Amino acid sequence: MDNNSLASARKPVRVLDGPLMLIICAVVVAILIILGFLGLPNNTLRYFFKIFLYIVMGSMWNLMSGFTGMTSLGQQVFVGLAGYSVCVMTTTCGMSFWMGILCAAVIGVVFSLLLSTFLFRMRGMYFAIATWVVAEAICTWFKSWEFVQMGSGMKTVTRPKPTTLDVYIWALTLFVIAMVVVYVLLRTKTGLGLTAMRDDTDAASSLGVNIVMSKRLVYIIAALFTALAGALYWINSGTIYPDSGFDINWTVAMVFIVIVGGIGTVAGPIVGAIIYVVLSEVLAKFPGWSNIILGAIAILVIVFLPDGVMGTLQKKLRFDIFSQKRFSEPKAKNSKKAA
Amino acid sequence: MQIVQLIINGILLGGIYAVLGVGMTMIFGIVKLTNLAHGEFVILGAYASTLISTTLGVDPILTLIVTIPIMFLIGMGLQSGLINRVMLKGSEPALLVTFGLSIILQDLMLLLFTADARHAGGAYSSIVFNIGPISIALLDVILLAISLVTIIILSLFLKKTYLGRSIRATSDDTQAASLMGVSVKKTYGIAMGIAMATAAVAGLCIALKWTFYPSSGGGYLLTAFGVVVIGGMGSIPGTMVAGVILGLAQVIGGANWGQLISYLIMVLFLVVRPQGLFNK
Repeated sequence: MDNNSLASARKPVRVLDGPLMLIICAVVVAILIILGFLGLPNNTLRYFFKIFLYIVMGSMWNLMSGFTGMTSLGQQVFVGLAGYSVCVMTTTCGMSFWMGILCAAVIGVVFSLLLSTFLFRMRGMYFAIATWVVAEAICTWFKSWEFVQMGSGMKTVTRPKPTTLDVYIWALTLFVIAMVVVYVLLRTKTGLGLTAMRDDTDAASSLGVNIVMSKRLVYIIAALFTALAGALYWINSGTIYPDSGFDINWTVAMVFIVIVGGIGTVAGPIVGAIIYVVLSEVLAKFPGWSNIILGAIAILVIVFLPDGVMGTLQKKLRFDIFSQKRFSEPKAKNSKKAA
Repeated sequence: MQIVQLIINGILLGGIYAVLGVGMTMIFGIVKLTNLAHGEFVILGAYASTLISTTLGVDPILTLIVTIPIMFLIGMGLQSGLINRVMLKGSEPALLVTFGLSIILQDLMLLLFTADARHAGGAYSSIVFNIGPISIALLDVILLAISLVTIIILSLFLKKTYLGRSIRATSDDTQAASLMGVSVKKTYGIAMGIAMATAAVAGLCIALKWTFYPSSGGGYLLTAFGVVVIGGMGSIPGTMVAGVILGLAQVIGGANWGQLISYLIMVLFLVVRPQGLFNK
């Protein structure tokens, strides 16, 4: 790149995607699979398992809030419903947990479709609070619903019990699929419409973006993957209560991951989830302080680093990993369409 | 007769809900901010009143003399030191900052005050009047009176004083108000201070009426938001009506279904009439 007098402000943004990045990603995934089979200790696997699931949930929240402008505070409803689906299918109906996962996915999609019919009448803060109210309402209902044993919680009886390696591989698969879906979706015309909508709903609408359909698509995808991540989490964890399944802390985690990692960047939630899981493991040694420190970090990041870790890095160093941009600025010499 | 009793209980409860929501509705209407930490502010007020009254041995209601100014200053400090800064970046960062504040406050209270249930009691706590078949607890009447007085003082302040007018002007048109010489940031600070002061009152009511924990804030936040949604943001008469509606829902649904019915009413209002009952 020529370093003329205009200096870094005009330095072009390098978009890192295309075959080279794909190969790097494939290698990373391959290494993760091989590491799993080489017999990493179970604790390390569980660590990674958590990171994968949080990346999925974070990416989905990012897709909604960072790319579409729908800030939800009620994503925990899908985690909880997925957990209960798995429990009901395995314990009450005595089926395999695969049926539980399938049921979680179906319920996630159907419920999000149902919610989207009335939640989408609201914008901004109203939407955020309405999603939370819905989640709390479901939680309260489950606390007095006998079918799910009310407040006393349910257990998953999985036979054969999946090993840690199994759940690790499933979580890894889910993570890869989720990232591919996010990337492909963002690269389509719908994806461009989404960011247009986030920046100015009315302008986007007048230019022919089908607001409701695009929003609905994103909301359902987010619900589906959040539910799948939730299902894997509860298969591994075993017991679910209304207060733990529909815990607002699920959304707190997603918000933290996205804010710290970098809202509106594809790679942000990956960085954010790693930071979140590592931090919460470290902070577990200081019981009581972990949420205080996480909350303080989130506030400091919003005040001093509003683009998050990845967002700031990308702006400073002028690069973009798997971005929506289709070519490197300023000249589209060889505009490859990797999607 | 049972219905009359239910309605009376609902109205008495509605006073507490109205004062819970009035701070939220002010911030919503004036600062244009969804304050997700309002529930924790209320619980902070509840702890402050309980602790002061037990250490000094005074009646919990008297502690308001101390808690209101302190909470006012905390609110002003938070708004001018932190929230005003992030509000420049848009409404979402500000929303998330208050979310962060709520997590921090909740766990700080857990560290400071442990997870034990707390309750503040006065000499009048167990007195009950019986008028024919209807019984009314003196405590409930006192709490309703406190709530009403708070709300009336607040609305007089907003209507009659210069400061109140400048607050309303800012809420109607921020730009015009700032052109007329109103300092918007200072107004926001004062508005948050007032909201915190009402949170102190709401906290006292909750401490007297129920037991509370550091984690109780989330539920009260949703109730406060329900008051905003049903009453219409920034509307003080709406706040009172919404409080009574939620109070009735709570009483009719009882311990098991009251909360669920309140949530359903909230969702219904959000869908059918998101601007609330009493909006301009």
